Order: sequence, then structure tokens, then C-alpha cells
Amino acid sequence: MTAREHILGQLRDNARGDAAPPAPWQSRRQFDDMAARFIASLEKVKGAAYRVASLDVALDKLGELLQTLEAERIVVNNEAPFDTLDLPGRWPEAEWHTVGQAGDLRAACAAADVGLSSADAALAETGTLVLSSGPGRSRLVTLLPPVHIALVPAACLTPDIFTWTATRHAAGLADAMPANLILVSGPSKTADIEQTLAVGVHGPKRFIVVLYD
Amino acid sequence: MTHTPNVTFYDFRKSAAKAVNDPNLQRAVDGATLRFRTHRAEALAELPDSDALRDHLKAIRAATLACLADHLETFERNAQAAGAHVHWARDAADAQRIVVEIAQQHDADLVVKSKSMATEEIHLNDALLAAGIEPVETDLGEWIIQLAGEPPSHIIGPALHKTRQQVAELFNRKLGTNFTGDDIPGMTEQARRVLREKFLSASIGISGVNVAVAETGSIVLVTNEGNGRMVTSAPPVHIAVMGLEKLAPTWDDAAVWLSLLGRSATGQPLSIYTATITGPAQADDPDGPQEVHIVLLDNGRSALLGGKYEEILQCIRCGACLNICPVYQEVSGHAYGSPYSGPIGAVITPLLFGLEEYEALPHASSLCGACLDVCPARIDLPRMLLELRADEVEQRIIPRQERLLEGSAAWVLGRPRLFRFLTGLGRFFQRPLARNGSLRLPRGLNPARDRQLPALAPRSFRELWDDGLSANDATSEEEGT
Ligand code: SF4
Repeated sequence: MTAREHILGQLRDNARGDAAPPAPWQSRRQFDDMAARFIASLEKVKGAAYRVASLDVALDKLGELLQTLEAERIVVNNEAPFDTLDLPGRWPEAEWHTVGQAGDLRAACAAADVGLSSADAALAETGTLVLSSGPGRSRLVTLLPPVHIALVPAACLTPDIFTWTATRHAAGLADAMPANLILVSGPSKTADIEQTLAVGVHGPKRFIVVLYD
Repeated sequence: MTHTPNVTFYDFRKSAAKAVNDPNLQRAVDGATLRFRTHRAEALAELPDSDALRDHLKAIRAATLACLADHLETFERNAQAAGAHVHWARDAADAQRIVVEIAQQHDADLVVKSKSMATEEIHLNDALLAAGIEPVETDLGEWIIQLAGEPPSHIIGPALHKTRQQVAELFNRKLGTNFTGDDIPGMTEQARRVLREKFLSASIGISGVNVAVAETGSIVLVTNEGNGRMVTSAPPVHIAVMGLEKLAPTWDDAAVWLSLLGRSATGQPLSIYTATITGPAQADDPDGPQEVHIVLLDNGRSALLGGKYEEILQCIRCGACLNICPVYQEVSGHAYGSPYSGPIGAVITPLLFGLEEYEALPHASSLCGACLDVCPARIDLPRMLLELRADEVEQRIIPRQERLLEGSAAWVLGRPRLFRFLTGLGRFFQRPLARNGSLRLPRGLNPARDRQLPALAPRSFRELWDDGLSANDATSEEEGT
């Protein structure tokens, strides 16, 4: 008998089998201003978020951020809204690596000052972005650089994790999982030494979100 | 290889006494558990309806366990469809062998690990080392105790028994650095530098699983540091070891689980990173592992299903019961001699690794009920602690002397005249042992030298009572006249 048969057999023999799963939990969250809650939640964990009126203003904000960060090397996912913008043309002083271009993506991410991405969804309650892998969407772009900046349409906001899973179900997306799906709720942190907060252990030390209309 | 350190009554009392008399440890554990408790309470209070959410989690966990085999098969099917390899391990030896074999197939000499209780449970690091493979823990706390050569002392904060000065000294000794205890950012940066190199050069990443989702064959890992993402993104092969009970049928269920996990563990509405892995990198993904293996670990769990201890399998390993437990706060994690400490450890350790070997653990509780109050899955830990004590009596694990003593005590107590006669004798013969109203116990009965047995009083309560009664009678008679 294989281990699998043995274990499943034992589980079947012992289990009560009287399952009555409850109906899915319905979110009890409602926010008058989801962006405001998103920003407040993120600031609580030392992340930063801004809300701006349009993609153009978001790009201005991005320029400002890149300048204050003195970003010299930038890696960017090849996804909306960046895929139709000529970022290297806008900021020629920096060295750009776009996912999918020739060259070593991993080395570029390891050397970059900033990683740039968008997101699938933003959860207002917890200040969380939902990132997924896929064509043009690298895992390391949002993980290795010390700073992660995300430009996200404000229309991606949803109240909380329950409304997010419900929307995915409604859209028939529940079965179509990307290989890697990440919820990010702030900059990397630890409290492992005497419960004292230290930011930037393995992931980005700064996590900045620009929500645009 | 799988060492099960016995935790007899004597061992537990000895390590407890050591912990209680260690001021650094007391300070570190008091501070950490207090902060965890405060943050948890605040996070739950901020929810619109945390009580209902906890009831809901309980219902989900109970319903999932009732049909666990079906859900596991669904999980397996979907994980395989996504390209993951699923392995079944009956026990620790099975699981060790599976992981080591995969590592050897890839000629691995370095694996990076993100904190995982399941791999602690099967002593995976020992097995890897024996096979000439170096495992590097990458959770900061777990790395600290790996450097120190110690087991974790808490499910969530493995190094929370250490003060900042102790960590600085450890770094300086092991890494040749020159930190003071106050330079926590410096120590964190050091960990980032050293471990970043490991992440990028390791050929295998090993993780646990916080919750797996059957409907999509996904595994979910939560971390704050980002090591969970690193371990599952940078190396070409990812192996995840999970206790087979950590399964949610649907994403709706997983969302309930995750909302309560972060809040109950550290008071975070969600951990910083929740990483969901569904198979290896797809053909057009720019990066990610080429192979994903999931090891489903039984190791005694299936035997608990359907019995009086099934409820313990509802645990989501949040650690809230440790932080609230007055015994854990005093003795800290190492006294339990198991990766699982505190109330959850006191119940699950004997169940998985043997009641006889861990006879003291069901008694490491005052049965105050605080753990039941905070448990997100409302697991009745006090009930199971009592059941285990009853099992000990039934299985005659309680030492023979103790059983004899209890039996004779019952016999004597049922015979008041004999009892009075014997206490009279005792009062006489205790004289050489009694000092200031208590008896000096021989070392064997009092390993920690902290117990005091009161000497027999010169006059028994009964005698005093009888005197009092007659005195009272006397008073009333006087009043009557
Ligand atoms: S028993 Fe409950 S409180 Fe304790 S770790 Fe498990 S889920 Fe958390």
C-alpha cells in the first residue's frame, strides 16, 4: 500500500463525514472613502500612498519620487500602464530594464534601486496590493530592489479580502490562478529582535503606492 | 535521527525552574507576549464582528475535517493540474526521505528555508545536514536561533526569548561583527546582506504552508520579512512541507483563515506578504521556480480524526494561546521540549509524539481557560488537557508510587479515626524535618527546590472547629442567661 492510500484510507475510516460548511462569509466592511482608508492603513505600517487625479499626475509624482530617491537603476514590469509609455524616454538619466527585454532580469533586479509595477487589486481595509505573475510580470521586480513603487488605478480598490475573493468568483477568475499571487500590505519588516520594528529585512524597505483616477 | 526528548515531570520542573530564574529570559518573554497580546486585542476590536468571524472559522475548520480526505484529493488534483508534484508522507522519516531525495536529484548543497513548524516537527535540518546539504534559515528570528544552535521557543517569534544584547553578542561571535544591542537596524541590515547572497545562490527553497486552498491547488505562505517570497521565487526548485490538516476548501474560506491569522498572531490585519503559489512558473512567466513539490505530512494527524482530540486539528498556528498563557509566560518555550509550546503544544505534542514521552505537558496548565478565550478557532484546549490527564491515569502513565499514594490516601481518608491517629503520629515524627511551619523535602521530590510542603499544624482544623463550636455554644449560653 502506498503512503497515499494508507493516509487517505485512515482519514476515510476515521472522519465523521458530516460536513455542513457554512455559507461564505460576507464582508461587513464599508468605507465612504476607500482610497483614504487604503492610505491610512498603509501609513500605519510605514508604507506610503498618494491619490492623484490622473495617470499624467501619477507620472509626475513618479518622477518626483525617482528624483528624491536618486534612483539610477530601475526595473519595470511590462504591464499596463507602463507598456504603452516610453519611460526610458521620459527619464533618460536612469538605466532602465523592462521585463522581457534582452539581458539578465535577475541581475537587473538585484542591482536596481527601484522596482516599478502596477497591481490587480487594492484592498482598502488593509492597505494591500494584489500582484500576480504572468507575461511581463516578474516576481523579482517587486521583491529584490530596496524600493517598490506601484502605480494603480483607483478603480482597483475594493473594501477587503472578502470582497476581493467574491469579485474573483463573480468574474470566473477563481480557477485561473497565476503561478504566483502576492498580497503586499507594506514594506518588508521584522520584529524578531525584542519585538522592535525594523524595516527592510528581505523585501523592499520602502513601499509606495500611487492611486490614480 | 528524530530525537524525541522526553519531558517527564522532573524534566519539566527542572527547565521551568531554570527559566523562572533567568532574568533576561523573563524580561524578553514578558515584553514580547505582552506586546503580542495588546496588538491582538486591538486588531480584533477594530473588526466589525470578530466574534462572528471566529465562529465562522470554527465552522469552516470543523466541516473541512469532517471530509478531509475528499478535500485533500481535490487539492492534489488541482495542484497537479497546475504542474506541482504532490507527495504523501506517513511520518517524519517519510517526509525527510522525500525532501532529501529531491535535493539530491538536483545536486543541492545549499537550501534556503523560510520558517516552518512542520519542518521543525520532522527535524528536517538534521536530515539535510546528514546528507551533506546545508540548510539556512532565513526568517530573522529563526536564523538567530540557528546561529545559536537552539530550537524555536515560540510558534511566531522563534527567538523571542533573547534580549537585544544577547542577539548582538551572538552576531559578534558568529559573524565577526561589532554590534551593540541598540543597533537593531544594523543587525537587520547584516541579515539582509548575508541572506540575500544565500537566496540568490541556493538551488532549493524549502517552506512550510500556512494554508492550502483545495479549489485551486494553491499553497499560501505568510511572512513579514519577505523571506517566504524569496524562498519560493529565487531558487529554481521549491519544496513545501505541510501538515495535511492545513487545508481550506475555497478561497472564501482561506480569506477568513488569513484575516484571523495575522490579527491573532501579531495583531496585523494581514501579514506584510501573503504569497500564493499555484504550481511552478508558467511558460511565459519571466521568472519563478521550475519545479514545485508539496509534501503532505500525516505524522499522527489522521489518527486524531473522528476522536475526542480531533478539535486540535482545527489549529491555525497563530500562537495567541502561548501569549496569553500564564504558564508559558513563566517557563517559555524550551521547557516543552517540542517545536509546539504553550497550550497548543501541551496538547498536540503528546498526541503526535507520545503521551508517555511528554507526560508532563498536560499538566503545564492551570486550566484558567484564557487560551480558549483567545483562540481564533475557539479550540477547547482546557478540555483536551483534562482528557489527556485522564488518559494518563487510564494508561497508567502516572508513576506507580503516585498511584499507590493516591490509592492509600483515599483509603485512609475514608476512615476518620485512622486518619486522626495517623496525623497524630505524623505530628510527632515530622519534628526533625519541620522548620518554620514547613517540611524540608528530599531533593528527589523537589528538583527545583522551590516547593514547600506545610508541616502538620500542632492542632488540626477539626480540633479547632470543635473548640470553636463549644466556645460559641458557651457564648450563646451566657447570652441566654
Ligand atoms: S490553538 Fe488556537 S490560539 Fe493556539 S495556536 Fe492554535 S489557533 Fe492559535
